[in-house]
Amino acid sequence: MNRPRKGRRRAKIVIPVASFADVAFQLIIFFMLCSTFAQQAGIPIQPPTAPRLERIRESTKVVSLDAAGQVYVQGRRVADAAAAEGELAALLRNARTPEARVVIFRCDRSVGREVFEPVLDAIARAGGIIAAVGERKD
Amino acid sequence: MARDKQRFGVEDVPVASFSDLAFLLIIFFILTTTLVATRGFLSEFPSGERSEKQQKKATTVSLRDGKISFNGAETDLPGLTRELAALKLHDRTGDDKLVVLEAAGKVEYQDYFEVMAAITHAGGALCIIRETEGER
Repeated sequence: MNRPRKGRRRAKIVIPVASFADVAFQLIIFFMLCSTFAQQAGIPIQPPTAPRLERIRESTKVVSLDAAGQVYVQGRRVADAAAAEGELAALLRNARTPEARVVIFRCDRSVGREVFEPVLDAIARAGGIIAAVGERKD
Repeated sequence: MARDKQRFGVEDVPVASFSDLAFLLIIFFILTTTLVATRGFLSEFPSGERSEKQQKKATTVSLRDGKISFNGAETDLPGLTRELAALKLHDRTGDDKLVVLEAAGKVEYQDYFEVMAAITHAGGALCIIRETEGER
């Protein structure tokens, strides 16, 4: 077994970690300023597809419709389209600019007309501009 | 300084766990952030009754049981896209841009979405007509 020779000093390596916390907080500030919270998280939706879809800005108002026809406003389940209209009207009460009136509409591709049409109508009646979300068909 | 610490009993604030806390917050933000670009189209539907003027003038696209009709003539999605492009809706203003979308029978959102996307991409202003119980 090799023993260090007497009198020979071993170099002590110290990793400077003092700035790690600063870096981490900078990253947090970046995420806080650039992120929008996933309002529809946990709602299983198969989005529809279309050949030409433009990139749209995320909005803080989200209405979702899952395959079972359940309506969600801001990720919370509501009874029907009429209830969604009430919730949206309250959300859009102070919306003055067109950007503030944008409502993201996520709907499962298999949902029938009799389910999604009243919801689209409810968004329009509440004063929202519908941003229908889908995936680009290649 | 060291002597002051001894004299007044000043102790260092423990900051060793700050970086752990910060990284936990980063993980939280990474998990809740949507990094994927949202794609779709914007449409402001005029709500209310269809006026007589609109009934006479507006371009009408009908969806019935998955079949598309453009001003009464049956077509498919590429055909509809061509017909809408020929109308040059981008150059029009006001009510002239209006495209009435009527759906009846068994229509899934996939078909409806494709037609809505085609109308919006062509520069049309969507107006949806809902079939009510009495009209069936």
